[in-house]
Amino acid sequence: MELTRRTRLEVIVEAPLVRRVEAVLAEAGVKGWSVFDGASGSGRHGEWRSEGLHPADRKSLVIALTSRERAEAVLERLRALFTDYPGVAALSEVEVMRAERF
Amino acid sequence: MPQAFDLAAANLLTPAVLFFVLGLAAGFARSDLSVPDQAAKTLSLYLMLAIGFKGGVEASRAGPSDAFLSAAGAGLILSFGLPVIAFFILKAVTRLDRTTAAATAAHYGSVSVVTFAAGTEYLRLIGVPFGGYMAAVVALMETPAILSALLLAGAGRADRRQGATRELLREVLLNGSVLLLVGAFFIGLVTGERGMSKLEVFVGPLFQGALALFLLDMGLVAARRLLQSRKLTPALIAFGMIMPLISCALSLTLALALGVRPADAAVLAILASSASYIAVPAAMRLALPQADPGVYLTLSLGVTFPFNLVVGIPLYAWAAGRVFGS
Repeated sequence: MELTRRTRLEVIVEAPLVRRVEAVLAEAGVKGWSVFDGASGSGRHGEWRSEGLHPADRKSLVIALTSRERAEAVLERLRALFTDYPGVAALSEVEVMRAERF
Repeated sequence: MPQAFDLAAANLLTPAVLFFVLGLAAGFARSDLSVPDQAAKTLSLYLMLAIGFKGGVEASRAGPSDAFLSAAGAGLILSFGLPVIAFFILKAVTRLDRTTAAATAAHYGSVSVVTFAAGTEYLRLIGVPFGGYMAAVVALMETPAILSALLLAGAGRADRRQGATRELLREVLLNGSVLLLVGAFFIGLVTGERGMSKLEVFVGPLFQGALALFLLDMGLVAARRLLQSRKLTPALIAFGMIMPLISCALSLTLALALGVRPADAAVLAILASSASYIAVPAAMRLALPQADPGVYLTLSLGVTFPFNLVVGIPLYAWAAGRVFGS
């Protein structure tokens, strides 16, 4: 089976910021992504739980599979965003099927 | 003031308020009781729909009126102006940084729809005939406070640096809860009695139950926030209880000056004293991310909301009665 190397980009941000992250991904030419909602967690600002009413307590995880160059371009843009807003971003190397889709 | 105590007791002994207290107690006791996420959101939708719709139907019954204009005018002035006052008080009395002070102040200019729901139920209980259009005044008072806060925060605004004003505007003007409230109001206004006969069971008898469940969740959330929060100094807690009193006094004075009907003035006082925790936190998270939600959310939800629910509402109604001499 033919597997190709791609980069997996994971971005965790508070719900109100997801649209901004999606815009960054689109601008960088990332072909697709998925958004998942976080249930709870803990960090620098204490614990949080997605109680449903408060946007700061709702975190989303955006996952995209794309080329290394695009992923790094996204990170570069996210750096500017993260000077003002809280967030986490990470890259990892994965192998995918049907590489032409990513 | 024995009559006032009776009224306070009447407010306290409604299921809605008691379920809030239950939620608080369960939260503090660290019970695992919780209202599921989606259920809480659904209840919130339901409340917006019911409150807006009923308000619209009542407004359609009453017909066009000037009373709405004076109430709306007063509401707008309060929403723009109260954050300014709150901001300066916070800067004077606490050690909050400018951005958090501005964000917190925004909450106190804006309104809590749930406080409006509980407050109007109480007013109905004691027979105060406020206008149905007050639901529209709620919607009007939601947003101007946000604009005031942004002006007060000045250079600290993240959205200016990021060029994201359009997104903020979208969030503020198209906020789901407010949109539903306003939309439901217009639908009620347009469909009137015919519309009411269709939705009667949904927005009538079910309302109290939904409110009780929603307040149960609010109690849980408030307690958990308070438990977690290390940011509330005595000065801030005092602010959370005194600012509503100041807002009440200012709103009654303004209502008197603008010729607002006494019954509507009582509602206005309740609205002015309430602090938002749905629309405003979302806007603040985008515009003023450096502001600390540990302060503004906890104050609004953990101090002011319970204070208003248990003590404030009957107090403001009584004060309105005194000021307007009824």
